[in-house]
Amino acid sequence: MAKAMMANPELRNPFKTTPVHPEGSTTVLYQGKKIVLAETGTSGSLLVRPDDLPAINGFELKPEGACYNDLCIPLAANMLVEADGREWFNLTAFADLLEQPWVADTQARVWSFAEMPTKRESTMVNAMAPDFEVTDRQGNVVRMADLKGKKALIVTWSSW
Amino acid sequence: MPVWQQVLEEINDPNFVIICAAEDVGGEAVAGPIFDAANPTYTQVVDVDHIISSAFNFVNVPSSAWIDEEGRIVRVDEGSYSKIHTISNGDQSIEFGNDVYTPALKDWVANGAASKHVQAPTTVASNIRVHSFDQLKADAAFRLGNLFREHGEADKADHNWAMARKLNPESVNFIRQDLTLTDEGSAGASFMKMRGRYESEGIDYYRPLDFQT
Repeated sequence: MAKAMMANPELRNPFKTTPVHPEGSTTVLYQGKKIVLAETGTSGSLLVRPDDLPAINGFELKPEGACYNDLCIPLAANMLVEADGREWFNLTAFADLLEQPWVADTQARVWSFAEMPTKRESTMVNAMAPDFEVTDRQGNVVRMADLKGKKALIVTWSSW
Repeated sequence: MPVWQQVLEEINDPNFVIICAAEDVGGEAVAGPIFDAANPTYTQVVDVDHIISSAFNFVNVPSSAWIDEEGRIVRVDEGSYSKIHTISNGDQSIEFGNDVYTPALKDWVANGAASKHVQAPTTVASNIRVHSFDQLKADAAFRLGNLFREHGEADKADHNWAMARKLNPESVNFIRQDLTLTDEGSAGASFMKMRGRYESEGIDYYRPLDFQT
């Protein structure tokens, strides 16, 4: 039998156990970003400070709703929550409204959100390249918008 | 990835760029030396979370998209090989790849919208895989698994990766990425079994190429 190709079992668990975030914090994963929030409220839902929203998903609260560029989503009654004398934004209710999938490990206080289908509509309908943001090996942030004016080949590969 | 460096040099057009993304949870330790061996001048990304694949709904590597100067996709989700390859495992071997992709790419860079390989937006849109709610959710689960792996939480990593594979069984990326971290590797018995099932059930390993000749 030939040696197994591209087997790296030693890489399955190569890391030492370390805290995901400082005690009492919450981590949100969104499109490759890892946002550690010092303050959140949880009651089955993920409640974040409205001021943290732009750093998480690019939306900001305006009188007309939660807005991202020209897109504004009117807020349902359950999305702004008063607790302990403070206002919180119900991020998971917002995701559910937009049919944005998410998974969570509530014990570890980590929420991971998929991309919003709303943000993908121009790709699926008009074939416009989707927004993405990645960091290259030199540490530069690469965004789809930065490629405008050039032809680009986006190509994936893997070591496997 | 020397092939893409060679293509970049042959095209030699300052208004053409290549973004080459390694979809690899092994990270820099695994993908970095392969990049370095190519002496690349193109943009290199080690995409541990498979962000690029998710953005374009790719389910396999190598996959690609051509983007024009206005940010419009003109081709998408094609097995981007420069030649036909053969891999063997014991007495089994499979062929993969093609020799039509690179000439078509060069034609597009040279001729732009006039290239016969440019597809209409409606064609491109129909060639982008439509991912269900569960398939999108798989991306979130995969990344949650990656986070736990990076923090040494092996059981939680495996739990979330298994969820990702279950939610998006079409993703060859998720299946083979996981196999990479086993003794049998990504081209072992499990992979051959999967390939056999794809062939017997008529499932495309890649979306069929449809370049005009």
